[in-house]
Amino acid sequence: MAKGEIVIDETICKGCGYCAEFCSRGCIEIPGDKFTAKGYLIPVFAHPEKCNACGVCAWMCPRFAIDVYKYVETPS
Amino acid sequence: MNEEAKGMAKEIVAEKPALLRGEPWMDILWDLFCPGCQIPMVARIIAESFEELGIGDKAIMVGAVGCTGILIASFNIDRVSPAHGRGPDVATALKRIHPETTVFTVQGDGDCIAIGAGPFLGALTRGEKITIIMVNNTNFGTTGGQLGPTTLLGQVTTTTPRGREPSSEGYPVHTAELAATFKGVAYSARGSLHTPAEFRRTKKYVKTAFQRQLDGVGLSFVEIITACPVNWHLTPVKALEWIGEEVIREFPLGEFKNVTSIE
Repeated sequence: MAKGEIVIDETICKGCGYCAEFCSRGCIEIPGDKFTAKGYLIPVFAHPEKCNACGVCAWMCPRFAIDVYKYVETPS
Repeated sequence: MNEEAKGMAKEIVAEKPALLRGEPWMDILWDLFCPGCQIPMVARIIAESFEELGIGDKAIMVGAVGCTGILIASFNIDRVSPAHGRGPDVATALKRIHPETTVFTVQGDGDCIAIGAGPFLGALTRGEKITIIMVNNTNFGTTGGQLGPTTLLGQVTTTTPRGREPSSEGYPVHTAELAATFKGVAYSARGSLHTPAEFRRTKKYVKTAFQRQLDGVGLSFVEIITACPVNWHLTPVKALEWIGEEVIREFPLGEFKNVTSIE
């Protein structure tokens, strides 16, 4: 059950791989055959069901390319 | 997503800080940093500290020359670009004219302790109530990775192709320990960004440093070790591993001075 999701801005990602390295749940992967327009290896949000919206990938991203969202109950 | 269909709303947890956006040229400038360079993470730490302390509209940034110089135009706050290494002098003047503002410099290791060693030591001696943040990447990154004052023993750079030798190039400068020996310094710490835990700890150091300035205690200094994968000739992830194995052995992390009053 996913508790959140991330959005990777592929136009500004530089492919350093810090997000995939430090995601403790292994949600982010670098497939190795997908590239940005500038030729950098791009990460993909491969396992969204494991994400718990901790925000580590956004802190460790040097390009501010990742936004992290948490699912919250709406008061109805 | 399925969750939204069940009536779940999305709440933002982490995004680009508001102080780092707003002008059209900023996105171009952030693109100048090499892949894996951690200087933008230093900017994130400063911006988030300002948002948490609520001082973003009363802060003046004094820049530097070098890789950290890109940050001068990337912050959406008041900022000054000084001559190479003269940041602490400009910050001194700004703080004495406008004592109600938060004045801080972001300098590289070359700007702070190589060419700017005189102004830096002068500000430490006078105990100016400013904050100096030094970004240490163990070489001169902008010009192609030459030997800097903080280069490790045995580290290969463009100007030391056989590694740094103590007999000819001397030993690395420990800036945070040096700053802690001065009476007018309220806070001196060294952090790193090679793991998320160290990121959080470094953010605490930076926040405490700004708090010491807001309390008017004395000069606060934080040294932040960042990766320079391009000039170290390592992949970004390998560069962070190298920091954890080698760099923090030479430069131990932690707080070296933390006082709330100077008599």
